Amino acid sequence: MNDNDELNDGAVLSAVRDSISGLPMPMAPGLEAIKARGRARRHRRVAGLSVAAAGACAALVVGVTGGAPAARPAQQAGPAPAHHAAAVHLVAFTVAAGPDGTTTLTLYPGQVANPDAVRQALAEHGIPALVTAGEFCRTAVQPAPGVGDVVTLTGAKQIQIPANGQPTARPGPIVINGSNIPNGVELSIGYRQDSQQNEISFTLIVTGAPTTCTSIPDNGPHTGD
Amino acid sequence: MSREKTEFAEFFQASWEPCLRAVVASTGSVQLAEDQVAEAFARAWLSWRKVRRHPAPRAWVVRTALNVGASWWRRRIRELPLAGHDAEVHRDQALNAEDGGLDAALLTALRHLPGRQREVIALRVFLDLDIDTISAQLGIAPGTVRAHLSRGVMALRHELSLTQAMEADR
Repeated sequence: MNDNDELNDGAVLSAVRDSISGLPMPMAPGLEAIKARGRARRHRRVAGLSVAAAGACAALVVGVTGGAPAARPAQQAGPAPAHHAAAVHLVAFTVAAGPDGTTTLTLYPGQVANPDAVRQALAEHGIPALVTAGEFCRTAVQPAPGVGDVVTLTGAKQIQIPANGQPTARPGPIVINGSNIPNGVELSIGYRQDSQQNEISFTLIVTGAPTTCTSIPDNGPHTGD
Repeated sequence: MSREKTEFAEFFQASWEPCLRAVVASTGSVQLAEDQVAEAFARAWLSWRKVRRHPAPRAWVVRTALNVGASWWRRRIRELPLAGHDAEVHRDQALNAEDGGLDAALLTALRHLPGRQREVIALRVFLDLDIDTISAQLGIAPGTVRAHLSRGVMALRHELSLTQAMEADR
């Protein structure tokens, strides 16, 4: 007997339907919550357009005046690397002082943050860091405390385990508690941004120790390795 | 305008669950899907005049939710478990196969299908879309949709057969 013969496409799809239908699903959020989310998105888009328009004006001024740099915003913000001299530089990341002495790092999707600029901005907030783009570096020894005592992804629901089994999160500020980094220890931050996906990883490393850098995401340290 | 609001409210109430199940089937994560679908409905509300005229509004929501997921950042906290912070990780239990059994095996097999095959199956199973509508939604040829569906079903059938055989042997 061949079971395959007995399972036509409809039976297979029905089995899939039954399997998923058997899973408990979260209740629908309130309609007002959906509308509020929509309104927030509309505000963000309007604000983004305003920033883009301001950026376009700034770029125009740069062109007319022969390249004088535009003033940086009060918050430390890093531009994406310049690909063309006349390109509009959107903010690729921000580093800001948070509550309780923490520092908030935000990387914006769609732009590649300059790792040196990120490192320098973090250093100005007292956070020693090794920042790499496209690779992730660690030392042979992972010093105490755990990286979880130093880095927090805001929002409890943002840490999830999808199909690949790794904890992941959707965008949100990264809160770094620099006071929890002991002397002789640095925070290693590696990120990768491409058209398919963006990923950022963290660990603690020993300052000055040899590092092993591997590409993201496949070869980074995982539990138990 | 009021009629449009009422329409959207009815659409939202009636479509939340099927859309969520379709996205769960495609993404493999209930938590991730919940956020993506909520975002998609928020966008549908913003563009309701356009979406309400769409030939398959639920498919619009699902497709938007999947696009939202593709554009979100993936972030990893490395070595958190080593640092004793397992409690901070909220495991998404829904599609784990830990409980064993037919459903778990089938869901695991679904999870391991290529993304496009999962999308096609999700749209077919949970939104009852025909090949042409799926084709239009995903922007791929109907023949390609059929191929994805056929390969996906073949893989799932294999898993289903194995699981049924194992259960019969017990």
